[in-house]
Amino acid sequence: MTTTVNFPASVIRLDNGLTLIHQEMSATPVVVADVWVRAGARAEPAEWAGMAHFLEHMIFKGTDHLPPGVFDYAIETQGGMTNAATSHDYAHFYMTIAADTLPQTLPYLADLLLHAAIPADEFGRERQVVLEEIRQAQDDPDWLGFQAMSELVYQNHPYGRSVLGTTEILQQRSPEEMRCFHQAHYQPHNMTVVITGGIPLDQTVEMVKHAFRTFPAAPPCPAATIAPLPLAQGVHREVLSLPRLEQSRLCMAWVGPGIKQLEAAYGLDLLAALLAEGRSSRLVRELREDRQLVQDIAAGFSLQQDCSLFTIQAWLEADHIDRVEAIICDRISELTATPIPEPELVRAKRLLCNDYAFSTEAPGQIAGLYGYYGTVAAPDRCLTYVPIIQGYEEAHLRQLAAQYLTPLRYVSTILRPA
Amino acid sequence: MTASLLQAPRLHRTVLPNGLTVLVLENPVADIVSARLFIRAGSAFETAKDAGIASFLMGLLTKGTEAQSSMDIAETVESVGASLGTDAAADYSIISLKTVSSDFADIFALAADLLRQPSFPEAEIDLEKRLTLQQIRSMQEQPFTVAFNQLRQAMYGDHPYALPGIGTEASVTAFDQDTLRAFHQRHFRPDNLVITIVGRITPEDAIAQVEKNLGDWVAPASLPATPVFPPVTPSGTCTVTTQDTNQAVVMVGYTAAPVKHPAYATLKLLNTYLGNGLSSRLFVELREKRGLAYDVSAFYPTRLGMSQFVTYMGTAPTNAAIALEGLRFEVERLRDTVLSEEELQAAKNKLLGQYALGKQTNAQIAQMLGWYEVLGLGVDFDEQFQEMVTAVTLVDVEAVAQEFFHSPCISLLGPEAVVGPLAAELA
Repeated sequence: MTTTVNFPASVIRLDNGLTLIHQEMSATPVVVADVWVRAGARAEPAEWAGMAHFLEHMIFKGTDHLPPGVFDYAIETQGGMTNAATSHDYAHFYMTIAADTLPQTLPYLADLLLHAAIPADEFGRERQVVLEEIRQAQDDPDWLGFQAMSELVYQNHPYGRSVLGTTEILQQRSPEEMRCFHQAHYQPHNMTVVITGGIPLDQTVEMVKHAFRTFPAAPPCPAATIAPLPLAQGVHREVLSLPRLEQSRLCMAWVGPGIKQLEAAYGLDLLAALLAEGRSSRLVRELREDRQLVQDIAAGFSLQQDCSLFTIQAWLEADHIDRVEAIICDRISELTATPIPEPELVRAKRLLCNDYAFSTEAPGQIAGLYGYYGTVAAPDRCLTYVPIIQGYEEAHLRQLAAQYLTPLRYVSTILRPA
Repeated sequence: MTASLLQAPRLHRTVLPNGLTVLVLENPVADIVSARLFIRAGSAFETAKDAGIASFLMGLLTKGTEAQSSMDIAETVESVGASLGTDAAADYSIISLKTVSSDFADIFALAADLLRQPSFPEAEIDLEKRLTLQQIRSMQEQPFTVAFNQLRQAMYGDHPYALPGIGTEASVTAFDQDTLRAFHQRHFRPDNLVITIVGRITPEDAIAQVEKNLGDWVAPASLPATPVFPPVTPSGTCTVTTQDTNQAVVMVGYTAAPVKHPAYATLKLLNTYLGNGLSSRLFVELREKRGLAYDVSAFYPTRLGMSQFVTYMGTAPTNAAIALEGLRFEVERLRDTVLSEEELQAAKNKLLGQYALGKQTNAQIAQMLGWYEVLGLGVDFDEQFQEMVTAVTLVDVEAVAQEFFHSPCISLLGPEAVVGPLAAELA
């Protein structure tokens, strides 16, 4: 058992390989338990697409000792709440409850995660729920646009598939396959338990050790098929015509560095803020406020394990699409060619550093942050965010822009009214 | 966990000589200060003719004052990485801000200036109008929004709550500087304001900031306007939008008590019982046991005027009829099915627990305290509400269900082949 220091939280590797992250916040009577599992859609074989997310639903369907619904009822009737989410890189399950109820509730959560029964009748019923989730997503034009863009950017890499999977694939899956996926991946070395809030360390360690002690043996399970990320070449454009669309969208996407190059990734986050965060940012000011060519424009940066994604999205009239796309390409080129004025850089840095401070106020936010970094990198890496952002110099940023944000290599997805 | 905010000795409530109410809660834990500036006027003051004026005006507050342009304002806020936003709700409007504590004085002074001296520049009005009209059109893209707008219109008729807060194409097109100035002059006055400041700041400092920026603002001699609400009677109508969607949306809305009505706490409890969380009745019966929906829930907004109790789900079009039947059955069975003591207690624990969890950040606390104050409930309502919930009995539940859960308005959206026949059957 080793403990890492220099971090406001304790990171403890239990003997069975499970990682526990704990931070006491004595000012709050609330505790958050957030369990992260390195078993998102990225862990699926392509023919099992949607399994990780469907499993997240089935985890709540109980164990041999815990009938379906008992856990939800126990948490909620003690005034707490619980939910879960699945992404490509992870699935996580969390509950927020009064600190003094953790000893009774944590064993339930652990039992669900370690010993999900995945009963056949529940499997069939819950599949209907997931199919409804897919239907609902298909009525959302932004979801359709994001999906089309992901396919174009990532091609056969798992990031190109929807986390939800497809109706056809889900119809063919069985409870046996899901149990296999579950037992293979929900193993201690793949899991991080984060506990934050009004509870001391010693008590937490004992509780977690006890609750997460009996893992089933991992069965053989079809391995993930992780096709390499495609080499970006040239400009790829796709136009989708959608019914009931009232406004066109233009989404331009560039692939950036993955979690292993955290410094470069944070630099792209800074460039996103510089370009389109707030009314005084470059693109919002020019395209929305001054030239009024777009209804809105935003830049996004999302960090993932294998690569990150830098996007610029505009909501606009269809006949402005080409012009706006050309202007954005120009501005991206200028970014690399012209020194960034100091006040602009300072502004973007403060926006991001304050956002970081504003989003680490409640125990749930902190648990999420540690759990995410613990799952894709190391928990204390999140602490490097503010110093790295603060330390960026303009020449270095421009170098990054030249390396990653070229107008010669990107994917453009356009939604237009049918 | 259900401890009241009032038990915290740190809450300070002050009314300035000009009638402005200030609430301050010092919370030194994080280096953050959140403030909310509430104006006691929202879309409830609107008619069909000026629908959306409150929302439009709030959007324009940050687009220019006597001394500063829209870009000046954006730069002031963004250069220190603060957040500053505006919004209009049914019963109030609001400026929200959040800063690290050392930037608070500057950004608060800016917010006070926006509140007091907006200039509504013509060019900004034109831009905002264009953006708002497009936003109104874009609402048509979201099936849930279309179904809800249609339900609200059917339930409320001539009542101001009938209209979407953003307004209509006709009303927004007609806005000009004069309409904005008139609304501002009528409602923006110190005795119509509640300011809450929560975070790493002393009460003395916070109150001094308010006095410095807003203390010399004199309230007019006339009394502030209060909204007039026409009566709402349950109409039992069914409205339909046909769209070739993958899912049908089914919504059932009942007329429900305003916040100052004795049935308020009981209805909040019933909303929790039916629609809140993974163990709620609708979730368990319609999703977990029957697989009918991914999204199935209920909501009952807190309103000064007559509210609504809405249940809804999105479902495969072929399931629309059983979805509607299921939603209605679960709500209306409460008129003659008495809950068990255990069910009632479970719902109370859930509601009170989640209520407490909703007070974790400075911003959440600032929002809740100011909201109670601006609605005229007072900050004591935080504690009173919890006592009222605790006191609800099985007899109350049945009586309230009988009073409100009848003659619902139904809103359907989906493919013609499904919603057409269903609506015809209901007609």
